[in-house]
This record gives sequence, structure tokens and C-alpha cells, in this order.
Amino acid sequence: MNLEFKIKKFKKISSTNKKAKDLAKKGISPWTVILAEEQSTGYGQEKRKWLSPKGGLYFSIILPKSKIEDLQTLTILSAFVVAKIIKKKFSLEPLIKLPNDVLLNQKKVAGILTENIIGKDVKLSVMGIGLNTNIEKFPKDLQDIATSLKIELGKEVDNKEILGQIIKRIKEQLKTISE
Amino acid sequence: MKTKINIGEKSYEIEISEIRDRLIKIKVDDEEFIFFEDKSGKLNFWDKKDYPPLGEIEGKEIVCELFAEKEIKSPIAGVISNIFVKEGEEIQPGQKVLTLISMKMENEIIAESCGKIKKIKVKENQFINANDILIVLE
Repeated sequence: MNLEFKIKKFKKISSTNKKAKDLAKKGISPWTVILAEEQSTGYGQEKRKWLSPKGGLYFSIILPKSKIEDLQTLTILSAFVVAKIIKKKFSLEPLIKLPNDVLLNQKKVAGILTENIIGKDVKLSVMGIGLNTNIEKFPKDLQDIATSLKIELGKEVDNKEILGQIIKRIKEQLKTISE
Repeated sequence: MKTKINIGEKSYEIEISEIRDRLIKIKVDDEEFIFFEDKSGKLNFWDKKDYPPLGEIEGKEIVCELFAEKEIKSPIAGVISNIFVKEGEEIQPGQKVLTLISMKMENEIIAESCGKIKKIKVKENQFINANDILIVLE
């Protein structure tokens, strides 16, 4: 199974989903991943702000053209993928808040937002994932609702390694779904 | 230019015409295929499903001539979160008309043809089913 992907890395951009959509419109190939060290206006569902300081893992995957039903399934499975990696790699007990958030100790550690552009059929799709990895501390208003792997583990994790694992598993899942 | 070709036992009538500069139509019996020439001079098959080679052929008018729809239907069930157009407005292919939230995915619904909006049949926060008519065009 070909699980390759390409990464386009940015220091600071407004939003990886936004950038991914712009690039997908210009015809960049599927399984290109837009990765940012920081997002100035990262967002989740209904354009709610996703705080994205340095240290976290913020990326968007340009997905191949798929059926809308498959994209729905993939969005849910991606939350499982992220949760499973956190559980296996760090022996933490993540909880999935369906369909697209992952919690640790009742606090949000990851969020997933799939965005599609649809005419008569799906024209393009991007899946954005924000995972709070090496964030040391959240501002007061978020401390009760957000956490990071670093806060839970008391040590830093390897963003690059986690990124690779997540994308490969998601690619595997989509292949299984669409076959 | 009209010609006939034979493939095996079957005969096909082929008609090649230039719709406009850099846009060629090849008709095989009753089926039409559109090709456009890109900036490098390469001829590309234009699949209507592709998004968006619109800029490549610099032609909103061209696209309008090719596709005229009477309505925009919902591709999936969901809740309308934003409507970006008004009744009476002229819309273009590729234009965002509304967003639809479905299974927490955010779906931007775009027009695929030109037209003037006669009626918007949905409201924000309304639940709709797949294939419901969203917008009626004149």
C-alpha cells in the first residue's frame, strides 16, 4: 500500500485549512500536507478560534476526490486514529467526543475539521487537524477546557513522528473505505 | 469540420468546431467533448467535474454558454449555516452560494452555472435533505 505524502511546511500562516484549500484550487496534488508551526487565525467548527501557538501540531491534508459519504466516515475515523496513537504511544486514556474532538481528562487535546467544496459533486476536500502537543500552558480562559500532551505527560513529544503516523493511518483508512 | 471514422464495424460522425478562441468542441455522434488550450499551448480535456479550470480559459461567458442550470440542489443532508447570495443576484460558476454543515464537516456549496437567482428556498439554520432544491435560477 502506498502511504506516501508530501509536506509543505510554513512558519506562521493564518490557517492550514485555508492555505490547503487555496493550494488545492490551484491543483496541488492530493496527500500534500500543509504544516504550520503557528496559525494566527486557526479555526475549528463554525469558524471558532483554535488557539495555535508554537509547539503544537497544526496541519491540513489535501484529500483526493472522494464521495461525500466516504468523507464523513473518514472524519470520524480520523478522531479514532488520533486517539489511538495517543493511547498507544503515550499510554494515556483519550476519549473521543464524536464526531471530531479528542479529549484527555475531559479537556480538548485535538480537533478535526473537514471542509469540502461541492458543486454537483465534491470538488475538493481538506482535513485539518490541530493537536496540542508541546504547548506548555494555556491562557486562563482555556485552562479548564484545553490540555496538551506535554501538560499530561510532563515531557515533550516528537511532532514529526506523530504527524507521519497520523497521516499514514488516515491514508490507510480512506483506502479501506473507498474500496 | 465534419468527418466520419470507422472503428471496427461501427461508424462515428465527428464534428470539430471552435467555440471561441482556445476552446474547441468535438462532437462524436450526439456526445460533446470540450477541450481548452492552456497557456503553454497544450490541449486539455475539460471534464465538467473538474474544479476550477475556469481561470485557465478566462471565460465566465464561455462557461455560461456551456452550462445552464435551473436550480441548485443540496448534495447532502445537513444544516444551512450561511447564505452568501441574495434573490435577484447574478451568480457565476465557482461562486460560493452557501455553507452547509453535515456531520460536522463544513461544506461550501458552489454554483456550477450562471444565472440570476429567482428564489432562495432555504433559510439559515434550516435542516435540509439531500437533493432538496436550495436555489431556483431564472
